[in-house]
This record gives sequence, structure tokens and C-alpha cells, in this order.
Amino acid sequence: MTMRVYSAGLLLILVIGWELYCRSSGISALIVPAPTAVLETLWGGLTVGYLWPHIWVTTAEIVLGLIAGCGIGFLSGIALGETDFVRRLLYPYVLASQVVPKLALGPLFVIWFGSGILPVVVITALICFFPLLENTLTAIQHVDPQKRELFRMLGATPLQTLRRLKVASGLPVILAGVRVAVVLAFVGAVVGEFIGGSEGLGAMIIGAQGMMDTTLMFAIFVVITVQGMIFYQATLIAERWLLRHHIKGVPQ
Amino acid sequence: MTFLAINHATYAFRPSETVVDAVEWTIGQGEFHCLVGRSGCGKTTLLKVAAGLLRPTAGAIFIDGTEIVEPSTQVGFVFQSPTLLEWQSVADNILLPISLRRTPSSRDRQNAAELLKVVGLGDYAGRYPRELSGGQQSRVAIARALINEPAVLLLDEPFAALDAITREELQDDLLRLCALHGTTVLFVTHDIAEAIYLADRVAVMEAGRLRHDLAVELAKPRQRYMRYSPQFNDLCLEVRQAMDEAA
Repeated sequence: MTMRVYSAGLLLILVIGWELYCRSSGISALIVPAPTAVLETLWGGLTVGYLWPHIWVTTAEIVLGLIAGCGIGFLSGIALGETDFVRRLLYPYVLASQVVPKLALGPLFVIWFGSGILPVVVITALICFFPLLENTLTAIQHVDPQKRELFRMLGATPLQTLRRLKVASGLPVILAGVRVAVVLAFVGAVVGEFIGGSEGLGAMIIGAQGMMDTTLMFAIFVVITVQGMIFYQATLIAERWLLRHHIKGVPQ
Repeated sequence: MTFLAINHATYAFRPSETVVDAVEWTIGQGEFHCLVGRSGCGKTTLLKVAAGLLRPTAGAIFIDGTEIVEPSTQVGFVFQSPTLLEWQSVADNILLPISLRRTPSSRDRQNAAELLKVVGLGDYAGRYPRELSGGQQSRVAIARALINEPAVLLLDEPFAALDAITREELQDDLLRLCALHGTTVLFVTHDIAEAIYLADRVAVMEAGRLRHDLAVELAKPRQRYMRYSPQFNDLCLEVRQAMDEAA
């Protein structure tokens, strides 16, 4: 608890220092705006309401991208983990596709999917896909061999072994992949909007750049940071709930 | 009457690498047999062959006259480590053999609770494996192997990782449980004293073959003081010599 107070105190000191620097040095607000000016713009954006539609668009893209990317990544991880043949056949391709910088595909997706939220959702999903695939594959392949034998001894079907042993025991690793995916989803959505979006916080940053409105840019950074922290905390809470039985008896 | 028969069982990982070499062994109904040998002598592999986890390269296993070709519900197996599912409660772990087949009934839950009481963990049904000591985890593993009341119980050095006192307690509990249901038991160990204390008959294994066997004619039920009797020591010595000669 005291550490949290210290952390908050540090933030306060940094912000005050920043404010004092802006006022004393007379640096242009075009380069570094003062925190009070940023807050004013942010407050205006939220109360007048022009920020909200963009926040919702970006949130929708992140949520849809996460669901699609994590879902497909998880299922692919299981397909690759369960069948040797599929893994050997497809893994080199999966790996190769991951080396391609996915954001570079943005312009192509705009041609394919138009300029709405769809191309951004696709990019976000593509970015979230790999951590889930990798972690699911690792999780279900690294099951204690004795436990596998136990399930064989008890006559469990392959589906039961998958669900009740492999996925259940690998859940902490799989959820760690989700956590990584949540962080990456923000990169995917915001940068995706740079390329293809007409709406959303990323598109707004590009718009602010065009108007040389640095203060608005900073205000949007604050929004994205807060949004990211809410998502991350929500993921942690969900993870703790899902793993509530796994952590029984582990020294905290 | 023969209940478990190992007929000429052979197992090789590769043609040049015979791990279990033409083993002949029979266990009568309700008897407790121990298989002693050094690490790597093939005793665990033989046990897995007997369980139907491994198909013998040659020969066959019969339980009550039926050939075993895959794991059967008639056979309970206890592994070297407790292999409990850490994310499930003790009660759910014990019910695993049932819940893989059907939804456990209230009667099954009652059975599990009684079994827990017998192994001295009556108050632990709602706990999780990591909250238990090593000895308690082994007890849960034994209870899980017995929930279906298997006719045959196979154990692979289940107490090897426990301290001496806990091991003795568990040995007594195991003998009591098996006598209660008339379970036929094959117990693998590298501990000579453990084998003599538990078994009606001890087989010595070396390099995939059974080299020696002896009947243990100590009074039943076993009492702890018997471990210190001259007869007990003589039997241990006999097994030890057999192991040395085989090596």
C-alpha cells in the first residue's frame, strides 16, 4: 500500500516538474504542451463529447480483434498441438507469417476490406493471434507425462484428455498469452488506424498531427494509456478468477 | 488360484534393447507381491506392461483369465509421484476415475468421503493438492486408485519420496486397505525392507529377468516390531544376496 502512495507521489512530482519546466523555459506548446493545457483539452474533449465516438471505435476494434485473434490463435494452437502431422505441415508457414511485419499489411487490408473498422480489426486480430498460438501450443505439449499416463490408465478419451488435462493444466500459460495479446492489441488498433482508419484514437492522432495540435495528441496519449490500464487490470482480474483453483496452496 | 498371470512377457523399446525379458509370474487372488530391483532393471516397464499401458512385444498378461490389451477399470495404478491434478480439490481428484465416465452420483461422493476417512484424510475433501504434505498426497493417490474397487492394484514405488516414518505409516495403511477388499497387488520397489514387510512373495529382478523369488512367511497382519526380528533380517539378507549375485 505504501509503495502505491510512493508511486503516485512520483507521478505527481514528475507532472509538477514538467509543468514548471514548460512555464519557466517558455518552450512552445507545439513541441511540449504543459500538463494543465493537456488536461484542459482532455476535459473539453470528454465533456463536449468529441472524444467519445473515437474512444468507442477504438475499444470496439480492440475487443473484436482480441476475440477473433485469441479465439483463432487458441484453436490453432490446439490443432497444431494435438496432431503431429498438422504441426509439421503448418508450423513453418505460421512462423514465416509471423516474421512479416503485420502492420505493413495495413495498406493491403484497406484495399481488401475498405476503410471502416474491419481492416483495423483484422490487423489487431493478426497481432493477437501469435502469442495465443505459441502459448497454447507450448501449454498443451508440456503436460507431465505421468499425468498423461494416468489419463490413459483411466481410459479417458482424447477430448477428455485435452479438456481436463492439457488445457486445464496449461491454463496459466495460455492466460499469460492472453495478457501479452491485450497489450499488443493496443498497438495493432492504434497503428492500424494510422494507416486505414477515418475514426478512432489512432486516426485522431494523425488528424492532430495535420493540425499541429500537439496538446490534443498528448490528451489522446492519456486516453490510450488509461484505456490500456483498464484492459490490463480487467485481464488480471479475469485471470485470477479463472486460476483461483490453480493457485490454491501456492505460497503468495 | 491364479488371478494375475504374466506369461512370458517381453518388452523391447528397440529390437536390440530388451527391457523385460520373458518374465513368468503369477499372483493368486488377494495376494500381495513385491518386485525388487535396482533402478533401470525393467521393473517399472514390467508393471506398465501388466497394466496394459504398454503392449508386450511377446507374451501376454491375463487377469482372471482375460487377456489385457489396454488399460482396464479392473486395474488400479499408483505412479511414482502422486500425479494429482493441482487445480482440483482432493474429493474431485479421488472421483476422477468416475467423472471421466459419468457424472459422479451422491453415492460416489459418499464413497469418496469414506475412502478419505480410511486413509486418514477425512477433513481434507475440500482442500487442494498443494495444500497437502507429500505423505498426504500419496494417500490421496492411493484412494484415487481404489475408488473403483479394482480387483488388481499395481504400484510403482509410490513411497520412494517419503521420509521413513511416513513411509511405514503408509505401508500399514496400504496393507489394511488391500486386505479389506481382498485386492490382488503387485508392488514395485527398490527398498528391500519395504518389500519384505509388505509382501507375501518377493521377486528379484535384474536386467529384465526375474532372478530369484522367495515366500515371506511372516505373521499377518504385520506389526511394526516385526521389522526388527531376526527372521525379517534373514529375509532381507536373502534378497540382498540374490540382488548381488544377479548383478
